[in-house]
Amino acid sequence: MTGPSEPRDAFDTLRRPHQPIEPDPEFAAELRAALRAAVLAAGGTQMTTTDSRTVGSAARMGSLTPYLPVPDARRAIEFYVAVFGATPLGEPFVMADGTIGHAEVAIGDSVLMLAEEFPEIGHVVAPSGGATLRVEVPDADAAVERAVELGAERIGPVEDRGHGRSGRIRDPFGQRWLVAMTEREPTPEPTYRHGEVGYFTFTVPDDEKAKAFYGSVLGWRFAPGNVPRAWRVEGSGLPESGLWGGQAYAGWKLMYAVDDLAAAADRVRASGGVVRELKDEPYGRTADCVDDQGVEFWLWEE
Amino acid sequence: MREPRIRPDPAFALLELYERALPEVYGYLLSRCGNRTLAEELTSETFLGAVGACRKQGTPPVSVGWLIGIARHKLADHWRRQAREDRGLRLVHHGEPETVDPWEGRLDALRARQVLARLGPAHRAALTLRYVDGLGVPEVAGHLGRTVHATEALIVRARAAFRREYEGEEGGRDRAE
Repeated sequence: MTGPSEPRDAFDTLRRPHQPIEPDPEFAAELRAALRAAVLAAGGTQMTTTDSRTVGSAARMGSLTPYLPVPDARRAIEFYVAVFGATPLGEPFVMADGTIGHAEVAIGDSVLMLAEEFPEIGHVVAPSGGATLRVEVPDADAAVERAVELGAERIGPVEDRGHGRSGRIRDPFGQRWLVAMTEREPTPEPTYRHGEVGYFTFTVPDDEKAKAFYGSVLGWRFAPGNVPRAWRVEGSGLPESGLWGGQAYAGWKLMYAVDDLAAAADRVRASGGVVRELKDEPYGRTADCVDDQGVEFWLWEE
Repeated sequence: MREPRIRPDPAFALLELYERALPEVYGYLLSRCGNRTLAEELTSETFLGAVGACRKQGTPPVSVGWLIGIARHKLADHWRRQAREDRGLRLVHHGEPETVDPWEGRLDALRARQVLARLGPAHRAALTLRYVDGLGVPEVAGHLGRTVHATEALIVRARAAFRREYEGEEGGRDRAE
């Protein structure tokens, strides 16, 4: 028997953190090949990873999504942002060696996927030629100029051959693009007539509790909003709806569009309601009100 | 803007991690099972099983620690299979104790490993997971597919079997001090 530092239970001395041991190289190579085959065999269908159930983004996974090999994905994303007005979707997936294994950007209503070169599966840039992607931009001339400034190769002039103005480039990452002028009408902003609901806010004292509750009961999902403790609600079916914590009033609090905020506020008071606060917001003027039975709401003039 | 959630194929991370993780996983398995062929088999099962596992929703990011966890399950499964086969061959009952005898001191590492290797698969699995890997009893129970109560009883029997083997082996000459 030795000092007090001796373990009390002999079995505790069995504890043995494992040490790395290099296996037989032949075995290592065989398993590497088998692993690669297993990953790639099922990988083709699983690489499309944008969760298309997520509502709200203009870009959706369509039936067809290009997946580009690029030598430098970070620079490529910067280029597509600068030239095509792309929006990065989420964080790129960074491999252990620092290369980008997967990234997605939204261009208009489409998703573009890219990854740095992966020779094992033939995910490499075509040395010359290759497929051409047609992309729509608001101004084809400006986009091609910008692309050339940033190192793209111009292929012929920007011109109208009867299908609107378009130009062709090979970008600095070896991808060929037909840069075309947007032909579609932009989707108009929704307008609200007097008396219509412009926004649905679910006000609660504790937003985290509400997220947990309705996430569990109804499967709603929540995206961070523009102000602290505010969350966009996805899954309620309401076109414009949010959850807002830190509020004394618990329940749905609607925002009604009105033609004339001051006149509407007067009518609230005359009808036995209370107008608590008038505010100027980026989207218009609002009045925080309570009706004559205690229901809270906002009035809103665009 | 709201963004679609991105979930890149985590199996690529597995490929990336392979070179670094292989000696760790193999080292873990070989040091626990002591048999190269078996360690290679279980290493293969671990990595190939990880391809599907890492793609399931809610799986933590691919890491060496996560792979060791899979390797531990594969090892425990192996011992369970072996124990089932052994049960079919013989019925062993030693009238083993139901309480833990205190056993203090320090075990000789090499001999302890040899003794562990001679135990039956159920005892070996219980002691390896509980003491060599340092898992808690509920975790051991999870790996062995037993209740916590049954696992406690198994550990008591395994300890007794180990001690009998360890002390009996060389006439008690190297008895734990």
